[in-house]
Amino acid sequence: MIGLIGKILLTLSFLSGVVSMCLYFQGAKNDDTAKLKIGNWLFGAKGAFLVAASGLLVYLLFTHQFQYYYVFNYTSLDLHPKYLWSAFYGGQEGSFMIWIFFSWLIGFGLMKWTREPYKAPVLFFLTLTQVFLLSMVLGWDIGNIKIGSSPFRTLVEEMPDAPFIQANPDFVPQDGSGLNDLLKSPWMMIHPPIVFVGFALMTVPYCFAMAALWKQKYNEWIGPALPWTLTGNVILLTAIFLGGYWAYVTLSFGGYWAWDPVENASLVPWLIGTAGIHTMIIQRKSSVAQKSSIFFAILAYVVVIYETFLTKSGILADSSVHSFTDLGLYNQLLLFVIVTTGIGAALFLWRYKELPTQEKESQILTREFMTFTGAMLLFILGLVIILGTSSPIIGLLFNDNPTPPETSFYNQWSMPIAMLMAVFTVLGQYLFWKKYNWETLSSALINPLLVTSVFTLASAIFGQVREPYYILYMFTAYFAVVGNGWVIAQLCIKKPKLIGGSVTHVGFGILLIGILASSVYNEPMLDGRIAQYNENVKQGNVKDEMGFTVTEPVLFLELKLKEPKIVNDKYIVTYVGFDIEDQNRPGQQTYKLLFEPLDGGDPFYMYPEVYPMLATSTQENVQWSVDPDVRSGLLSDIYLYVAGSSYIKQRNDMIARRANVNPVGVQDEVPEIQTIQFEKGETITVGGFEMNFIDYAMEDTAALPPSTTIGVRAQVQVHHIASGQRFLLEPLFALYNDEEGKTFVFSPPVDLPGFDISFSFSKVRPETGEIDLSITGLDEEYKSEWILVVAEQKPFISVVWLGTFLLMIGFTVSIFRHWGRERKK
Amino acid sequence: MKPKLIIGIFAIIGFTSLLMYNLGESISTYTTFDKAPDMKVAHVAGVWDQSKEHGFSMETKIFSFYMKDESGNSRRVVYSKPKPNNFEQADRLVVIGEMRGDTFYANDMLMKCPSKYNDGDPAQFINASEG
Repeated sequence: MIGLIGKILLTLSFLSGVVSMCLYFQGAKNDDTAKLKIGNWLFGAKGAFLVAASGLLVYLLFTHQFQYYYVFNYTSLDLHPKYLWSAFYGGQEGSFMIWIFFSWLIGFGLMKWTREPYKAPVLFFLTLTQVFLLSMVLGWDIGNIKIGSSPFRTLVEEMPDAPFIQANPDFVPQDGSGLNDLLKSPWMMIHPPIVFVGFALMTVPYCFAMAALWKQKYNEWIGPALPWTLTGNVILLTAIFLGGYWAYVTLSFGGYWAWDPVENASLVPWLIGTAGIHTMIIQRKSSVAQKSSIFFAILAYVVVIYETFLTKSGILADSSVHSFTDLGLYNQLLLFVIVTTGIGAALFLWRYKELPTQEKESQILTREFMTFTGAMLLFILGLVIILGTSSPIIGLLFNDNPTPPETSFYNQWSMPIAMLMAVFTVLGQYLFWKKYNWETLSSALINPLLVTSVFTLASAIFGQVREPYYILYMFTAYFAVVGNGWVIAQLCIKKPKLIGGSVTHVGFGILLIGILASSVYNEPMLDGRIAQYNENVKQGNVKDEMGFTVTEPVLFLELKLKEPKIVNDKYIVTYVGFDIEDQNRPGQQTYKLLFEPLDGGDPFYMYPEVYPMLATSTQENVQWSVDPDVRSGLLSDIYLYVAGSSYIKQRNDMIARRANVNPVGVQDEVPEIQTIQFEKGETITVGGFEMNFIDYAMEDTAALPPSTTIGVRAQVQVHHIASGQRFLLEPLFALYNDEEGKTFVFSPPVDLPGFDISFSFSKVRPETGEIDLSITGLDEEYKSEWILVVAEQKPFISVVWLGTFLLMIGFTVSIFRHWGRERKK
Repeated sequence: MKPKLIIGIFAIIGFTSLLMYNLGESISTYTTFDKAPDMKVAHVAGVWDQSKEHGFSMETKIFSFYMKDESGNSRRVVYSKPKPNNFEQADRLVVIGEMRGDTFYANDMLMKCPSKYNDGDPAQFINASEG
């Protein structure tokens, strides 16, 4: 019943959207304010229906009505209420709804503040996009044509042919399948809504540009469009930052950026939007670049829709770590892309001849030229990224079954473009505020260049930046920081309100420094033995059991309970233990690691977590998911997660045993022979004995048979705790060849006097110096407690965040400036 | 005007062709284990072969399993990183790496996970309704 009401509400919302769109169209065509007014009322009604429908969906989510597919698929009974909100936009249907909702709110702002003659056409284009988005959640079935996918569909509608539905059409599951555990994060509560606010705001420049083309007023739209675009930009940047931060602290790929299509989907509109901001600013100042302002304003939104198509149509299924669901909206989304692009391009080309052209060419040393170049560079970077993201389509040019490009494709292209950008930010900012010729500009830049050189040199000497290409990159990044910093210093004295642009550009430079430092100078945290092993791997000296050269270094840190290890000659790291917690994520283990800096700093703890993914785990198959811990420092972060532990291994073994249905009792029996691995000097306590592997003792090979190649003894001290008796055993390990040249191991057992226990030295691991002792007759099973940690030292992540914050601050200052001027009109 | 236009056109053509060339170089094709030895970096798609052993070896710090590619060949895959989070859940795997002998050495792995319900096994619902 509620579902039906929900569907009707969404249909009403769609219909009032269509009618208000028609009214706006006529209002715009005939300058008919009466039509515009009715259109506004219907626009309001459309949103009211949508809000009511959203309210119903929220109600269904909070009352756990699992007969509805959306509720079943994204929630479960034990889900914390705050994450029931996340579940609202956990699926595509809900995310479309929240997108329309924000776009609707923005509509009221546009109604209030937009002046004639733009008002009606702007609202027409805004409503047009909303009608498309609303059609995605309709869930109409007309004959064979399916329009939209409704969040209110029931399980029966979702899979009518399933046997359990046919047996019992009123079937209601007792619990839902639950929200993806990775999304149970406060960051993931706020990130998606902010993305959609950003996408909704990016519609505004599109609407203004289209209105300008329609009404043939090519200059005035910049005034109101600029603050909207800037706001969209800040919001989108915030969303990108939150997404990156979430990926860094929640996922185990160990970074904040992976050139994933979903990340690119918000980065590219941001880049194109920023290009648009540049051309709008020079258009406002000097009445040039009308064409490119309109072009970028249209393109920014087209890109939003295109990327939505890529990520939501299922076409990227193979190329992303994100799992996309294909809701069968492919054709509808494609139509959306074609219409927004089509009418954008058509209107642009139709008016192209009429658009103002610049009388004479700009000189190179003008703010127009420099700002325009900046916009072009942003545009090119956006283009490169779109090209890479479109690999499932564009890749068909190269082969029939294309893979996504390697990430090096993105890195190789974005680096030089970013370097050029960095240089142009300084030239652009200098020329923006003052006229220069080559001579005066060079002399004005001498001091900044000197400071830049000093910084670059310092990085090369103290920061180990030695690669020429990186030195050049760092030079341009420092130049952006210093040069724009210089401009800020001068502006602060005269007109502090105008520093927005230069703050943004300083932020950009800092971001570049942070990106390089944090990605290239990443250092795995390993103990000395593994580091030595990796060094051998690097030199190609290590072979695996198949005889192939090992190329991949080991990046694990293995820690035994309460056995400190020295890591990177910097810390003593000890695994102290773990707790099991059943509150937020039942079955979650919180591991506790103690770090003691060798240079005498304060010790600290880190708490990585491992938990069973409840949404996807079953009794027979527990899937463990990791939650890294990050210790942020001013200069360097420590990032680590637990990749395995003795506890998890035991749990998995137990599940495996249960699956094999062993006879009862067998699993508790102590094995007759136990093989225990010892490091040199290590003491292990089991079955009432303390055993210490003291050292190797060389065996005289002369005393052994002539075919023996190796003979070595282990000195093992065994201490019977109850009686206090101590024994020194020296079991032998020998390799000998038979007549045919085959190698055999000879490890005779040595008895422990007075006990029914014997030791044999069964294996040597020359690469690590460890040995295996096989012990017969112990009455307790030895279980060592260990964890396997992946830890990295990541320098200057904080610099990446700092750069991002400065970008946000700079853009925000500009919003106030442009908004303030617009209000005064 | 004229020479500038020509330079501009050449610059655009040059840039675009370089970009496309580079893109073509970095895009590879999905292949099978049989054809993988000819490629330096091979992307092989397939499904986890659960009939053979799998697991993480503490000794070598390597995760290994058998994967059946699209032509039905099953090969051992080794991966020198921890087992990815949603490995068991994936209904399709893409391993990226190279073939050495009969073993595929993966540097990277992508999991394609089913949307939980669409392709899901209705058995879980039947159990839920009976229990």
